[in-house]
Amino acid sequence: MMPVLQLVMDGLMDGGAYALIGLGLSLTFGQLRRLNLAYGATAMLASYLGAAIYATQRVPVWLVAVTVIAAATLIGWYVEWMCFARSGQEPDHGGASAIGAPIAGADGREVVALASSFAIWMQLEQLAVNLLPRHLNAFPSLAAQQDWLIDSGFGELMVRTDRLLLALLAAALILGLGAWLERSRTGLSWRASADHRVAAHLVGMPVARLQTAAFAAGCALSGLAAFAVLSLDGQVTPMFGMWVLLKGLVAAMLGGLGSVRGVLWGGLLLGVIEAFAQALLGAQGREFATYALLFLILVVPWKPRESLVLSAGLRG
Amino acid sequence: MNEMVSAHLIGLSSDMAIMSLLALSAYLLLLVGKVSFGQQAFFGLGAYASGVMSAMFHAPLMFALAFGMGVGALCSWLVALPTMSLSGLNYAVATLAFGEMARVALSLWHWQIDLGDGLVGPAAIDGFRDIRWLHENDVSPVQYFAITVFVLVCILILMLRSERTRLGVALRMTGQDETLAATQGIDVGRLRLFIAAVAGALAALGGGLYAHRTTYIEPAIFDPMLGVHAVGYALLGGIGTALGPLVGVLFDLGLLDATHWFSGWRMVIFGGLVALFLRWRPRGFLDERLVHRFGSIFGSKGYS
Amino acid sequence: MRLSGPLIWAQTIMLEISDLATSYGKIEALRGVTLSARSGTVTCLLGPNGAGKSTLMLTLAGILKPLRGSVKFEGEELVGCEPAKIVERGMALVPENRLVFPGLTVRENLLAGAYRRRDMAGIRSDIDAMFGRFPRLKERVEQLAGTLSGGEQQMLAVARALMSRPRLLLMDEPSVGLAPLVVAEIFSIIEQLHREGVSLFVVEQNAHMALKVAQHFYLMEQGRVSFSGSPGELADDTVIQRAYLGQQRAEPRLPA
Repeated sequence: MMPVLQLVMDGLMDGGAYALIGLGLSLTFGQLRRLNLAYGATAMLASYLGAAIYATQRVPVWLVAVTVIAAATLIGWYVEWMCFARSGQEPDHGGASAIGAPIAGADGREVVALASSFAIWMQLEQLAVNLLPRHLNAFPSLAAQQDWLIDSGFGELMVRTDRLLLALLAAALILGLGAWLERSRTGLSWRASADHRVAAHLVGMPVARLQTAAFAAGCALSGLAAFAVLSLDGQVTPMFGMWVLLKGLVAAMLGGLGSVRGVLWGGLLLGVIEAFAQALLGAQGREFATYALLFLILVVPWKPRESLVLSAGLRG
Repeated sequence: MNEMVSAHLIGLSSDMAIMSLLALSAYLLLLVGKVSFGQQAFFGLGAYASGVMSAMFHAPLMFALAFGMGVGALCSWLVALPTMSLSGLNYAVATLAFGEMARVALSLWHWQIDLGDGLVGPAAIDGFRDIRWLHENDVSPVQYFAITVFVLVCILILMLRSERTRLGVALRMTGQDETLAATQGIDVGRLRLFIAAVAGALAALGGGLYAHRTTYIEPAIFDPMLGVHAVGYALLGGIGTALGPLVGVLFDLGLLDATHWFSGWRMVIFGGLVALFLRWRPRGFLDERLVHRFGSIFGSKGYS
Repeated sequence: MRLSGPLIWAQTIMLEISDLATSYGKIEALRGVTLSARSGTVTCLLGPNGAGKSTLMLTLAGILKPLRGSVKFEGEELVGCEPAKIVERGMALVPENRLVFPGLTVRENLLAGAYRRRDMAGIRSDIDAMFGRFPRLKERVEQLAGTLSGGEQQMLAVARALMSRPRLLLMDEPSVGLAPLVVAEIFSIIEQLHREGVSLFVVEQNAHMALKVAQHFYLMEQGRVSFSGSPGELADDTVIQRAYLGQQRAEPRLPA
């Protein structure tokens, strides 16, 4: 029993981080119905900027955090401009594809945006590696030195205080954001403009501004999540971008892309599944389990599909 | 000095031919309207499969490559079965997930046999060394280059010829509007599965050629960035013709990478161009309109 | 008391559209529309499919930007303004196909309608008033709008538009796709709003019902206004023919 409880605890700790990582991705997908593949690269470049400043200037840690968050927001603005900004006069028809559109189909435009975002992913990743060419780069470390030993009924559970704090912060942030989305006037406007753009225009909501704000918030959150995670590791590598994208994607999809509270459950679930996969199949097995999970979510005709797959709008 | 330069050129050209096969693989799927971020998996599976055949069982090169193609076709077909009917976004993410599943699986696969000279075979995360068929059979780089280009040219001729056939037209129709294509009597489901198998075979062929050229492969090579580049080559070079992806490869590997004028900025430029093209010229450089116009200059009828 | 005949001319012109032209994609859907609506009246716009009626409504709401022309609402030029400003100025559109927020509840839809207002107490009391006016909506207050029937969605769309306290309510084909009983209900709501002093500009295909409630109507064909008058001026069936079929099969036109 003991090892199982420890695994669950470890899984939940990691899961909190995954939830935070996936939050921005879910938010921007929910708002724009577009999947941003440059998400991980955005977080990585922002983190690299933070690491670069830290290396050259020995600035205080909070300034690195601010740098990372601000950089992520600015880079996100560039990504939105290149890939997701809407142009043209025609109201959304949600079906018609123009002759000459690269990808046809009901979500043709979404796929084109996806393709653009991977092109920007390439750009951002190269820029990051240009900035800090080494594989291992130091990042300000906030790792705690002690672990708690909690006496559960079955023996002593080891809990890393810093990871626990991160998980709790993630939960608080996510639940707070979810409540804000469901109850506030601005939150309603975000959800409404995600739900039906034209109707949102008709009631006088500044749709373009709202969507930009949501996108920026998503990117800022990615910066926050990146900083939090990296500060526990004390270092950042070029693999970070892909890691953020894939973990975030799985966490968000498990909970339902676009659902803010969902990403919390999704992240926690992912963490626990990974913990067990690692115990049973080793480190590589754990990785395999993550991707297999993502694949299965998409491929198996679950009911209700709505909650798992790329479809519904933004919800708290 | 001249020898070094020409050796370098031979190597570069071989690489471009190999990458072209991977780019063509992505192109075929783009034709039917699907963006796949998983073609690198079939590239890797083909590399491993043909490496196993030639290094562990001493099969001749052609057989090893054909075997790799078979493995690639089969795996691609199997993956396409549940994924082809997914919407574009879901399909893209599913292929991305599968690509990573394949990579991790390869990094877990350990199978070595003792051939007297030591152990040979995939060594999980440490990769697969000593795929030395070319060396053991005295095939020089120039000869191998000739073989690679010959293979590519054959594939291209086959594909260019098929553009005007009913198959070629059916493919493009399916990509533009699958409902309309279905009303014209095209079995969209079977067509897409067929194309997936062909795409998998092409990628695997490229992988097999790659494995023998470099003699050492490891799972880390077959990461999503490789597949992303393949799609990028097709999107940039143009999906109006099978020559389009080659243009993309030439641009990136030939111009951006080889000339070293753009070192450190290669992906920034390439990525930026892909994004811009998607906005202003969505079918790429060699799009259908340009191909049609070119075709009529040479007096051919095109496919309108 | 229903306004008709000479009394109409005593009402001020609330909405004045001059030579409005809009393209929709590559089609020039509006080719120079000129019409006006007086306050306190129900003005109807009739016309066959493809005449450009919906394009006109979307242009008025600010969703589409016109190529040329002017739209004066209570004397203020609104052409080219953002939809938000138009709602603030007092014009609200009940669009064709309802366009409710399917993922939001009935209550949230109403709140969304009041987005540009800040008076929370007023908004709350207005919501209660809407439930009084549309009791069926009250029964479904926490239900997702996407699960409502066509008629209920139409009422929700009207209620949502009313939440912004518009002085001129624009309605685009409120009867389309609804059962006859529901259509009668919608038109009685239109009459009731008129009695309460709300000005209405209604686009309709159902010329028969429209002519019963309107004080003034226009006929639109191929992007232009082709007739203007009051319901009594032209034999009902001629208008209905032209409204459904366009010029070709109708009687010779009376001077406008």
